Amino acid sequence: MVAPFGRRNVLLALFAAASVLPAVANVYQLFIANLMLVYVLLAIGLNILVGYAGQLAFANAAMFGIGAYATGLLQVRLGCSFWLAFPAGALVAAAVGLAISLPALRLSGLYLALSTLAFAQATQWVFLHWESVTFGAGGFKTPPLSFAPLPIGKPLGLYYLSLALLVVLFQFAQNLVASRVGRAFVAVRDGEVAAQSLGVDLLRTKALAFGISGFYAGIAGGLYSAMLNFVAPEGFDLFQMVLQKSMIVVGGLGSITGSVLGAGLMIIVLEALRAFKGLQEIVFGALLVGFVLFMRGGLVSVLKRHVRGWEEPLRLPQRAPPAAAPRALEAAAGGAEP
Amino acid sequence: MSTALLSIRDVHLAFGGLKVLDGLNLEVKAGEIRGLIGPNGAGKTTLLNVICGLNRPQRGDVRLNGVSIVGRKPSAIARLGLGRTFQTSQLFRGMTVLENMMLGLHRRTRTGLISAGCNGRRRRSEERAMEAAARNALSFVGMADLAERPATALSFGQQRVIEIARTLISDPSVVLLDEPAVGLSANRLSELDALLRKIRDQKGVTLILIEHVIRLVMGVCDQVTVLSSGSAIADGPPAAVRNDPAVIEAYLGRELSARYQAS
Repeated sequence: MVAPFGRRNVLLALFAAASVLPAVANVYQLFIANLMLVYVLLAIGLNILVGYAGQLAFANAAMFGIGAYATGLLQVRLGCSFWLAFPAGALVAAAVGLAISLPALRLSGLYLALSTLAFAQATQWVFLHWESVTFGAGGFKTPPLSFAPLPIGKPLGLYYLSLALLVVLFQFAQNLVASRVGRAFVAVRDGEVAAQSLGVDLLRTKALAFGISGFYAGIAGGLYSAMLNFVAPEGFDLFQMVLQKSMIVVGGLGSITGSVLGAGLMIIVLEALRAFKGLQEIVFGALLVGFVLFMRGGLVSVLKRHVRGWEEPLRLPQRAPPAAAPRALEAAAGGAEP
Repeated sequence: MSTALLSIRDVHLAFGGLKVLDGLNLEVKAGEIRGLIGPNGAGKTTLLNVICGLNRPQRGDVRLNGVSIVGRKPSAIARLGLGRTFQTSQLFRGMTVLENMMLGLHRRTRTGLISAGCNGRRRRSEERAMEAAARNALSFVGMADLAERPATALSFGQQRVIEIARTLISDPSVVLLDEPAVGLSANRLSELDALLRKIRDQKGVTLILIEHVIRLVMGVCDQVTVLSSGSAIADGPPAAVRNDPAVIEAYLGRELSARYQAS
């Protein structure tokens, strides 16, 4: 089966374009491209939580902020190097994600949405008012990032760091959702009672989804703080949350590739409309409503329907030709039988 | 008592003032097909919910293989070897039939976050083994050709059978079936009858089924227990239970049952 415009080829082409982009892009374009990479990371993490595990949570902007603040503050307050503060910041965000999953076992739907929204507002309040640690409303500058001894400047180094992390974390997510763990997420989304009766532990599964989305948001936050060399509360507010939600809705809920497409597209829309200040919100709202009403599965559902090779099965993709497969399958099945 | 695979002792459960289970006792031996019948509101589904951990009884004990399972999480009880199907279809709508079946093996597999995300050796070998086992199980119920279909594309009867197969795939010791025949046509009904016998004979799984279709119950069950108002009022082989005066009274009421007995 040949699928020249299949998911794999399109993603490889996007990766190739992203790899050579710095050769042709100016400083501004490189910044926007880096921003895109950061948002793709955010959208993938959020999609695992909302699209796959079905947890309608509104804390991702706060997780993004926690990653940025933790990375920045560890450098400024404790004098850690970026290379220590950055992974530590991501782990802090993942830990907070795990912690807020505890109420999630008892709450669902609207109540989960409200409680995570309250958590996000509380985080915003902490950023603003715990001035002795967070520097309050004015934010703070982070130390300049250096890629020495590598002979590249900060924007270029950060861009390739983001791209490398994105490739690794994209593949990780892609493997994850097509595995026992990912199917457990979808099972919890599609029917908690049946999932439990098949031995899926709801608390563990939900906690894992929250922790993963926290980790992805934390990585994104750390990169974002390094991009701006500056951290302030207003980047992590409710509009940030709406932006991320719209990315996964437009791209396609329950699709890792959809997260890539959605985040890329929304950043382009955002930048194209930067000159017309009031229009951003209007176009955003219209896109979100339009997709919810007329294209529930997002862009990726259209591609799945009309272009060959866009399926995203929730199991190991079949690479080997069917004729060679049965022997190996039989052997594996024999080994698993108790 | 030691010979019973599943033993339910003096179980009480009330929702507010409504006593749904009222001192219920039940013993099920390994390898039998047990029918649970009784009028609406007798507590049959609640009993299944108590066994699989969705409802916690206020008093009494439930033992599976001699181990008390009261108060454990449903997922933990499932891992001890208890399967269950529901009155309404509980297939996962966002998955294909094959993926649904693979979820049935969740409790038998151990791939964790890291192996799953990094495509480790365990993920690859378990995925292949799960897929092969899932295809085998689909063949066992005669639905191998439906493997790649989305779960939402199946007919009602097919969904039922897939759900049973998904429960059986992990070799549970007991499976609870809540009205497997509801809404099935006569043809599908005899297929279900044959499937249940095949499961008992070839898999050695103990089945406990709630059923209103008396033809199925009388045909396939080794033992039938009649529930009424939250306790067991009769217990025995189908033929004996059918003629038990207490059973007739529970279904028809005192007056009608007297007329029925007289005729």
